[in-house]
Order: sequence, then structure tokens, then C-alpha cells
Amino acid sequence: MSDFLDQIEACVPALRRYARALTRNADLADDLVQDCLERAISRRGLFRPTGPVRAWLFTILLNLYRNGLRSSRRRGETVAFDSIAEPSTPAPQPGHIALAELARAIETLPLDQKEALLLIALEGLSYGEAAEIVGVPLGTLMSRLGRARAALRTMTGTSAEPHLRTVK
Amino acid sequence: MSAVPQDTLMAYADGQLPADEIEAVEAFLAANPDAAAEVALWRRQTDAIATLFAPVAAEPVPARLRPRRLAAEIASHRNRSLGWAAAAVVLVGLGLGVGWFARPLFEPAPGASTVLIADAVNAHNVFIAENRHAVEVPASDGEHLTTWLSNRLATPLDAPDLSAEGFTLVGGRLLPGTHDIGGRAAQLMYESPASERVTVYVTAALPEGQPAYQFANYDGAEAFYWANARITCTVVGTLPPERMKALSQAVYRQLTEGDVTAARPYRG
Repeated sequence: MSDFLDQIEACVPALRRYARALTRNADLADDLVQDCLERAISRRGLFRPTGPVRAWLFTILLNLYRNGLRSSRRRGETVAFDSIAEPSTPAPQPGHIALAELARAIETLPLDQKEALLLIALEGLSYGEAAEIVGVPLGTLMSRLGRARAALRTMTGTSAEPHLRTVK
Repeated sequence: MSAVPQDTLMAYADGQLPADEIEAVEAFLAANPDAAAEVALWRRQTDAIATLFAPVAAEPVPARLRPRRLAAEIASHRNRSLGWAAAAVVLVGLGLGVGWFARPLFEPAPGASTVLIADAVNAHNVFIAENRHAVEVPASDGEHLTTWLSNRLATPLDAPDLSAEGFTLVGGRLLPGTHDIGGRAAQLMYESPASERVTVYVTAALPEGQPAYQFANYDGAEAFYWANARITCTVVGTLPPERMKALSQAVYRQLTEGDVTAARPYRG
């Protein structure tokens, strides 16, 4: 039991990070993580301890987030858009991506692309784990990832090729 | 050289390509600057996403997200539900007449009451074991005690008289409480001639100020909690349920005397 709680505790920072990136709102994100942890702890009987705790927690979190989006859509609420991290580099340089612009671009991605992109690019999960968490076959995950990256490229106006072209 | 599929390039950019395929991809990229630029862009996107959000994981984790605390809260909730489910009884009158064994008729205020009960029982367990330092201000300094605690809690607090139940006031102390409910709590301690002790744990009202009731058996102690628009109060002890019930009724009656909400102390 305490071993189980330790494993969960070790995942909390990553869950908060992922939730913050999904919701862009610190309070909503922590509420989401709290719901996720409560569910995980109260349902540990259904959990097979052989499986990875981290992937299981991310699955719960994502499902709660999707459920919440569904019900808030029904209520017609909007989610506060705040807590954009301050760019640590002041001015965009050629070849660099403006962070605020990127944050907005991620915001406009379809949810299926956003959740996949963040699992890979932010959480560093393997494609296989991410596919399982999102609940789609590996090929579908890869195509969502590809579309997300192409969309970000278009929206941030960063050409695939750097300004300095390789001289042939 | 044959073209490398985009998924393979992406796996390379994400560091997820099997080691034995890396060399071939790097050779391809060296010969195909457009593909190399795309891979570089993906990596910049990944770096930028990390720059945006990675710092969140380094922030201190709020107490409410600590698994151990959550597990304790869930366990206490479970015990309560199972323990009282068999004996659901209607609460009438002031709501206390029949209730000690009854499960709550209404959902407890989520979270806050659980935390307060846990705090109250913990404070009870810590200080009833003390002899010389059981209280901070003794009952002999009664007027000072009630004035002081009332000021600190910013709400009038008179120590209930439990002599009819055979308990006399030992004294009281100020305790750190839960942050978002004033951050302070008062503990009053009572003792019977047989050296049995009960404590009454009082804080200012919760922000929502909604009336609420809850019986709990927490950490080996019986606790009766209620909240109204003015205060929250938890009576804690290890006496038999009948006597705890009588004491709680007396405390409730005296602390809600004259309150506007006393006439209708609860609702669903």
C-alpha cells in the first residue's frame, strides 16, 4: 500500500505538468490532478500492480479531462486562458519559435492532436505507451502527432527550412 | 538512397528509434537537407514545449495533492459510510436527538469537514496525554481564556458548561488550523472525575458557512462535527457513544444559543 502511494507520489509532478499544459489554468489543472489521484487511490483494488503506474495515472487524468470538457461544453462555459509561461528567451531569433505564439498554437490544436503531442513532446512517453493512454492504435497516434507538428509549423509561421539554406 | 518514412524520421527526432536504425537515418538526413530541416524543427518544437511547461513539475506540490493525505481522507470517509450505513436514523429536532450511530443524512461539506475532523482528533490525541501542559490557559483564568480565544478566532466563544454531564473545564489553547479557514483553531479540554477527557475543537466558520453535520469514528476516537454560519465545532472523545452523544448535545446547545441559524440548524 505505502509502496503504491510512493509510486503515485513520484508521478504527481508530471501529472501536474501535463494537466497544466492541457488546461492552461493552474487551478483547473490541480483540481484535475486531485480528482485523478482520488480515483486512483480509491480504486487501487482494480489496479494490476504489474502494470506501470504512470501510464495508468495518465489514462485516468486524460479521461477525467475529456469528461470535464464534455460537461463544460454542455454548460457552455469557457475555460480561463491564463498562466502562459513567460518566455525565458526575450526575443525570437531566426530559427527559434516564439513561445507565446507556440502556446497559442497548441491551444488551437484539436484535442486528439494536443493530447498526443504533449504526451510525447512534453512527457517523453514512448509511442506505445502514449497510444495506450490515448486509446488508439500506434499508427493513429503517429498520424495525430505528425498532423499536430505540421499544424504548429503553419501556425507559428516557422518554415520547415531554416533561413540559412544549405548551399549546395 | 531510398526515402525514409516520416514516422521513422519522427521517431528519430523523438529519440525513439531503435539503435540499429539510427545510422541509416543519419546518412539519409546528411543527403537530404529538407528532411534534416524538418527534423530540426520538430526538435525545436519539442524544446519549446518543454520550456513552456516543464517548470511546472519543479513547483512545490500543494498539500492537497499528497497521495498519503488523500488516502487517509478516503479511508476515513469509507469507514464512516460503512460504519453508519446499517443504522441510518432520522435526525429530528436539533438534529442531535438520535444521531450518534446514524450515518449523516446529507453529504458532508466535501473536504473541509474531513480535514477539520482529522485535525481535531489529532489535537485531541496529542494533548489529552499531557498532564502539566494539557492546556495553555487554565480554566481558573476563565474570563481571560474566553476573551482571548474569541479575539483570536474573531468570533465570540464561550466555553460550554458540561458539569451536568460530569465534566469540568480544564482550560484551552490556541492551535494552528487549516489555512483557508482563518488558520486558527481553539481547543477546549474537559475532564471527568475519572480523568476521562474530551476536547472541543472550534474554528471560525468555513467560507461558505453552510450548516453541516457529521459523525465520524476517526483514528480510534468518536467525533461529532457540525458547522454553521459562525463556527465549526468538533467534539472528540473516546467515551461510550451514549455519553459522547449527551456531551455533544450539551456543547451544541450552548454554542448555538442565540444564533440565527439555531432554529433550523441543518438542511439537506
